[in-house]
Amino acid sequence: MTLNHPRSLANRCNALKSTGPRSVAGKRASSQNSRKHGLNSAPDFESSSEYRALVELIAEEGFSAFACADIASGLLNYRRVMDAYYDTYTSPEPVDEFLRDVNVRASNPIFSELLSPSGSEPQDVREMAAFFASMQRQERRKGGPVSRRSSDTHKLIRYQRNGIARLSRAVRQG
Amino acid sequence: MSVDHKVSSLLPLLSSPRLLPDESEAEFQSGLKSLLSELDNPSPLAVALISQLNESLWWIRRHTVDKELLLHEAMARLLSKAGSYSETYDNRKVSEALERYLDGSADKDEAEWIDEILTESKLTLSDLRVRAFKDAAKHIKMVDDLIHRQHQTMRHLQRSIDSIDYKSRLLKRMDLELQALESKQSVKGVLSLDVEPS
Repeated sequence: MTLNHPRSLANRCNALKSTGPRSVAGKRASSQNSRKHGLNSAPDFESSSEYRALVELIAEEGFSAFACADIASGLLNYRRVMDAYYDTYTSPEPVDEFLRDVNVRASNPIFSELLSPSGSEPQDVREMAAFFASMQRQERRKGGPVSRRSSDTHKLIRYQRNGIARLSRAVRQG
Repeated sequence: MSVDHKVSSLLPLLSSPRLLPDESEAEFQSGLKSLLSELDNPSPLAVALISQLNESLWWIRRHTVDKELLLHEAMARLLSKAGSYSETYDNRKVSEALERYLDGSADKDEAEWIDEILTESKLTLSDLRVRAFKDAAKHIKMVDDLIHRQHQTMRHLQRSIDSIDYKSRLLKRMDLELQALESKQSVKGVLSLDVEPS
C-alpha cells in the first residue's frame, strides 16, 4: 500500500493538469457521462419487503437459509439488470436528423454570413465548416435508431452475464 | 398447488418483463404457458426461472428483427447518398419509402421513385443489400453478440431449473426411503412388542 501511494499522488497531480477532453469526439463522449443505467451502484435488496418475502417462499422449497438469501438477491439483481436492459433498448440516444442530413459544403455561405458581424476571415469559416463536418461524421457513425439501440444495449452484456452467473450459481449450489 | 397459483406466489415479487407497444401480451403469455407445461409439477422458483427463460426467448426474437432492420437502415442510408453531391435525398423519406417497398406495400409512385434512385446509383436491390450488409457489419455483429448472450443466459437458466428439478426428485426419493424405513422400523417394533417374554 505504501509503495502505491506516491504513484497515486502523482496520478492525482497529473489529473489536476488535465483540461478535460479536447477533441470534438471526446467532448461529445463526455457530455453523455451523466447518462447512466445505475447498474454500477451497489443495490440494497436485504432491506426490501420483496426480498424477505422471496426468502420465505424459497425456504419452503427446502433450501438452506444461506442459499435462500443468495437466490433471492440473485433473482432481484437479475431483474434489475433486465429492467435496465429494456430501458436502454427503448430509449436510445435520439438521432439529430438535421446534423446528419445537412450538406456541410453547401452551408459555407451560411457560415460566412453567421460569422460576418464579427469580421470573420475565410480561415474562420473553414474551421467552422470543419468542426461542423466532424460533428456530422460522429452523428452518422452512430447510425440510425436501430444501430443506436443495439450499441447502447451491447454495453449491458457484461452486467447480464454477471447477473445470470450469480443467480445460476446460487440456485445450483443451494 | 396449481401452476397458476405458483405463478401468482413468487412472480409478483419480481419486476415483470415489459413488452414493446406493438407486441402481443397474449403471445408472450402463451409462450410462458407452453414452457411451463414442459415441466412436471414445477416449484414456484422453477416458475420464476422459466419466466426469465421466456423473456430471453423474447429478446432473441426482438434482436433477430433488429438485424433485418439494421440492413434496411443501411440500405436507406446508401440510397439517400445516391443523389448528386449538392442534392442528396432526404434520409427519412427514403427510409420510409424503402421500408414500404421491401414490404411490398409501396404505392406506384413510391416504387417508381425507389427504382429511379436504384437506377441512378447503378445498383440492383441485391447489390444494395450486399453493400448495406458491409456497411452495417459492425452493428450486425453487436446484435449477434446480444443474441449469443441470450442463448448463454438460457443455458444458465436451464441448468438451474434442472438442478431444482433434480433436487426436488432427490428429496422426494429420500422422503419415500425414509417412510419405508420408518414403516419397517414400526413393523419390527410392533413385532418385538408382540413377542411375549417367556
